Amino acid sequence: MTVRMGFVIITSRCIDCDACMVACRAENEVPIGFTRNWVRDSGAVGKFPIVKQMFEPGNCMHCEKPSCLSVCPTGATYKRADGIVLVDDTKCIGCKYCIEACPYDARFLNPVTGKADKCTFCLQRLEQGLKPACVQTCLGKARHSGDLNDPESVVSKLLNRYPARQLSPDAGTRPNIYYIDVPVAEIPSGT
Amino acid sequence: MPKIYTWDQLFSRRQFIKGGLAAAAFGAAAGSGLLQPKPGLGDAQSTVTSTLSGTKYVYTICEQCVWRCGVIARVENGVVRKLEGNPDHPNNAGKLCPRGNAGIETLYSPSRVKFPLIRAGARGSGLWRRASWDEALTYTAGQMKKIKDKYGAKAMIFNSTDNLSQPFFETLLKAYGTPNYGTQRSLCFNSMTTGFLYTYGVAQPGTDYANCNYMIFSGRNLAEGISNIETQEMIDMVARGAKVVVLDPRFTKTAAKAEWLPIRPGTDLAFFLALINVLVNEKLYDVKFVSQYTQGFDELTKEVATYTPQWAEVQTEIPAGTIRRIAREFAASAPAAIAHPNWRTSNFLNSFQAERAIAVLNALVGNWAKPGGLIPDQSINTAKLGTLSHPSYPAAVGMRLDGVPWQFPMVPLAYGVLQVMRDNILTGKPYQAKGWLISRQNPVLSIPERQKTINAIMKLDFIGVIDIMANDTAYYADVILPESSYLERYDGLVPIGDEIFIRQPVIKPLYDTKSSLMIYKELAVKLGLGDFLPYQDEKDLLVQQLKPYTVSLEELERKGHYRVPNFKEDHSKDFAFQTSSGKIEIASGIMAQMGKKAVPTWEAPPKPGPDQFYLLTGKTAQHSQMFTQDNRWLLEIFPENKAWLHTTVARKLGVKTDDEVIIESEVGKIRIKAYVTEGIRPDSVFMVGGFGHVSKGLHFAYGRGASDSALHKSLADPISGSSALSQTFVRVSKA
Repeated sequence: MTVRMGFVIITSRCIDCDACMVACRAENEVPIGFTRNWVRDSGAVGKFPIVKQMFEPGNCMHCEKPSCLSVCPTGATYKRADGIVLVDDTKCIGCKYCIEACPYDARFLNPVTGKADKCTFCLQRLEQGLKPACVQTCLGKARHSGDLNDPESVVSKLLNRYPARQLSPDAGTRPNIYYIDVPVAEIPSGT
Repeated sequence: MPKIYTWDQLFSRRQFIKGGLAAAAFGAAAGSGLLQPKPGLGDAQSTVTSTLSGTKYVYTICEQCVWRCGVIARVENGVVRKLEGNPDHPNNAGKLCPRGNAGIETLYSPSRVKFPLIRAGARGSGLWRRASWDEALTYTAGQMKKIKDKYGAKAMIFNSTDNLSQPFFETLLKAYGTPNYGTQRSLCFNSMTTGFLYTYGVAQPGTDYANCNYMIFSGRNLAEGISNIETQEMIDMVARGAKVVVLDPRFTKTAAKAEWLPIRPGTDLAFFLALINVLVNEKLYDVKFVSQYTQGFDELTKEVATYTPQWAEVQTEIPAGTIRRIAREFAASAPAAIAHPNWRTSNFLNSFQAERAIAVLNALVGNWAKPGGLIPDQSINTAKLGTLSHPSYPAAVGMRLDGVPWQFPMVPLAYGVLQVMRDNILTGKPYQAKGWLISRQNPVLSIPERQKTINAIMKLDFIGVIDIMANDTAYYADVILPESSYLERYDGLVPIGDEIFIRQPVIKPLYDTKSSLMIYKELAVKLGLGDFLPYQDEKDLLVQQLKPYTVSLEELERKGHYRVPNFKEDHSKDFAFQTSSGKIEIASGIMAQMGKKAVPTWEAPPKPGPDQFYLLTGKTAQHSQMFTQDNRWLLEIFPENKAWLHTTVARKLGVKTDDEVIIESEVGKIRIKAYVTEGIRPDSVFMVGGFGHVSKGLHFAYGRGASDSALHKSLADPISGSSALSQTFVRVSKA
């Protein structure tokens, strides 16, 4: 079976500390003023004193049918065989079509390179057998990554055991980040 | 004529670029990639090659807060590229919080003080001249000697905050001979430590999160006041379905994971007294444990008789039914149930009583040294370092300026009352302080009533600051002795349990800076006190600390930690309570001796007047106290503090989120942006502390947000010396 790289994010384990954002900035030298990943905060929802609050981390969803790819006029945006969506800087002309096309607002124009920029799944780490920087540092073990097609991966095991959702499925891009909102007591071992 | 620099010149980018290697490093870290082109993505070969050439991994210890997490630094060709948690370190188990991840930006910050500075204009004028280390240290020692000769050593105040080299700073001050030493303790958790000390004889027992099934937090916000491994354990605890109750007038990110009780500020004491009332009345306490290990239960029974849940409802505005339910649930989960000791609780003058009530509540359910309960003092089970022999200290002559013990007889000598020390610089009583040497503290922002602190500084003959950045107190100093950042220096070793950890330089210092270990040492030599810090350099000191063990310093540097073989834990003293009775003192012997009520008792907190609000302060996960607000990576995720206002209050004032409001207390006035939310009591205003810096040497922090210390009144609990930060009431208006 082919490899399908993706993320599983357990929102119930996120405390919105944003360590993932700083780790990504360090690992990928993301310029100040921009970020490749995020944690969205619902704020206090409801009426005092009955309120709740949810935190939702995210980044490029490495979609099955990426809209950023189809609008790219130069073929700079491409999807690897393992599912990771990347930008080839040598082909990118900075036209920003992809930035507009992404339903998740996951891309930005890097002012240093002048190219479209976004989460690369920390490919440089993956090639050394390491998890992406955001996953590695997550205090709550909320962020997980791996091969969604491998039944032995942590992400597959989590999806087998808990109900999950995707963001904006209506956009039709078939995103590869799955969100689990229920409590997850123990993180299964796996690749 | 030496060249005179203004702050702007000293810290401008241009000045910085001239720094050569340092400038190159800065460029790379800032993302412009001056040093190394980023390898092409998807180009496996170049990634691997660049990793193999000139990359090293160095073990060290974080200092982006005081928690001391293990770090592995990735260094490429002399540039620190990435910091990651050391999976073998018990304080963080491989994870770093946002602050720890942002340590690189602290290292390469343009706001670093790059060489010693001596003031070249009026104090606070922002005019400086560069000095050599020899001149700066000679000047500092000269001023300190002059003060000692003329007024006695007592006229010199020393001030620091929790850090790895603090013991050596303390050696310096004891050798100098002053009784006046201030730390952050009274601004932080004096009420907790004294409350538990006078109950258990243990100042800060641990909490077994891993096995706990019921936790009540009333001043420990682990999602925003991150203590790495404890935060991880809290998240795990919530995930496995343990009950967590959070008492806080504000809906914190910890409360978002728990049952939130928006208690009226200052009344946590009433809540806990009512829990005790229910436990006693319904016989839900551990009868055997109470009779075997405690004293004073009968006195407690009488005292809490009137503290019913109905009574507490009036005080706390938490329904009596909820209080009764929580008492029963808590008892049912015991002994795997903890009322957390917290760091700060309600921050009122009655906080000592609140902490005593919490300590007693834990005792009633017998959770001491049980799985899921409180953990006895572990210092006995911590590896001991080799010590340095030095001459005996001179007697410290004179009363202490912080009022311990003559004004605060019950505050332990080691804790002190920093805010009172500052006040007595101004009063000149019982004598006039003349000098202040500060290492790793920032009193201008940390002590309530900022203006008083600045006035106190202006009154002194001498003020010297040791720090890595031009913090607000450094801005007013006569001399700044620049310390190397934590990624450039050694500090004293850290034993944790049966392991010893090392902080070591990840790269050579970028600038003309020194470790605090060497600053203290060289200052001691200039003062003629060199024998008290008997080490040639940092490595020499560390070798002496390692003397009891077979491990070499080189091996420790390579592996980052050393496990003492055959280390046996000793739990024979777990129930040997270091109190006057040898038991857990529900009725405190010391309180009785002081003529005070021996059991926890109600003290009504003051309420704000009409049109006034409680002013609450607290932490955010993205910053540490007042020393990370200049870090641009952290400013990206938390750029400024705002004043939380309840929706109804904001509507009345006619303000929306990000509109400016004026907040005014008896002692100060600030302008700050509003944050409108349903997650706060309508009678309270909240702001994160640490913003509102006044130092123009802090490029990125200067002018951001506002300082709570400009508003806080200076109040010291007469028993614990704790600063009652929330006992300040404010008026809010639209700017």
